[in-house]
Amino acid sequence: MSKTVTIVRNVLEANERRAGKLAEYFAQNKILCLNLMSSPGAGKTSLLERTLTDLKGEFKMAVIEGDLQTDNDARRVAATGAQAVQVNTEGGCHLDGSMIEDAISVLDMTGLDILFIENVGNLVCPAEFNLGEDHKVSILSVAEGDDKPEKYPLMFHISSVMLLNKTDLLPYVDFSLEAAAAHARKLNKDIQIFPVSCRAGEGLTPWYDWLRQARVAKK
Amino acid sequence: MHELSLIQSIIDIVREERVKHGMERVVRVRVVNGALSGAVSDALAFGWECLTQDGELKGVVLDIVDQPLKVACGSCGREFVPEDRHCMPCPACEEILGHDILSGKELYIDEIEADTPED
Repeated sequence: MSKTVTIVRNVLEANERRAGKLAEYFAQNKILCLNLMSSPGAGKTSLLERTLTDLKGEFKMAVIEGDLQTDNDARRVAATGAQAVQVNTEGGCHLDGSMIEDAISVLDMTGLDILFIENVGNLVCPAEFNLGEDHKVSILSVAEGDDKPEKYPLMFHISSVMLLNKTDLLPYVDFSLEAAAAHARKLNKDIQIFPVSCRAGEGLTPWYDWLRQARVAKK
Repeated sequence: MHELSLIQSIIDIVREERVKHGMERVVRVRVVNGALSGAVSDALAFGWECLTQDGELKGVVLDIVDQPLKVACGSCGREFVPEDRHCMPCPACEEILGHDILSGKELYIDEIEADTPED
């Protein structure tokens, strides 16, 4: 005899439980946690280098660096004076909650204002795994094309902020800031969009102001 | 690319439910996969095939139901299923921006069919 049992259980429930615990931990310790996501080479590490340097005097910040291999990014970030820990996924395409738990256990979290998580470069998989963060921040560089929010809708749907990086390359590429913004807003009307050039150090003030507000909201 | 780890989670949940409900042999597992979930149905099917070659779930059918994207218009609230995910004008007011997602992000195990011991 055969029977059918209705289950209705989220496939990602184990990660969701971990993310819930992490969110509780960040709330109790009043740490603003941001999950940075982009394709490889869009400028996550460059954005962190700028941010960590420019806001050094204002906030105590730390970084969890996710990469398939190497600790190149952790070393770049640590050169700014911020605390950094490298997580190598050894081929894995995203970070999950357990990796963040491990990383936190080796970081000194005392008095921390902002924790940045630099996810593995990938516009698909990281979007599915919550890490207990307050906000997801996606970075798109103008060399990648303005249709990316349309092609990877989940990533931009769940992000509070989209940074359009490498605006110093705009004269050389066919990229419309307006088109990218319109694609992102189709399924995310509240998304904050900041065009920046991390290389030239341009357009970063609105991003820093957003960070300050998000930090105040967490206290 | 992360579908294998999703399949592993599905297998863990099915094993747990099998014990909980005293199922003798699982026959079929139904999973609902939303158009925006980020998981590719073909890759899920392939992952299932790879990870159930042996053991208690060998031969179990994975039934994947694709759930289309359904939205509510950001302007007038009209609910609709966009024909084209890349351009979704509201059929009532033609608004293209700011739609709310009603369904299409989900990925869950809906039901399990199993042989049960004779009472």
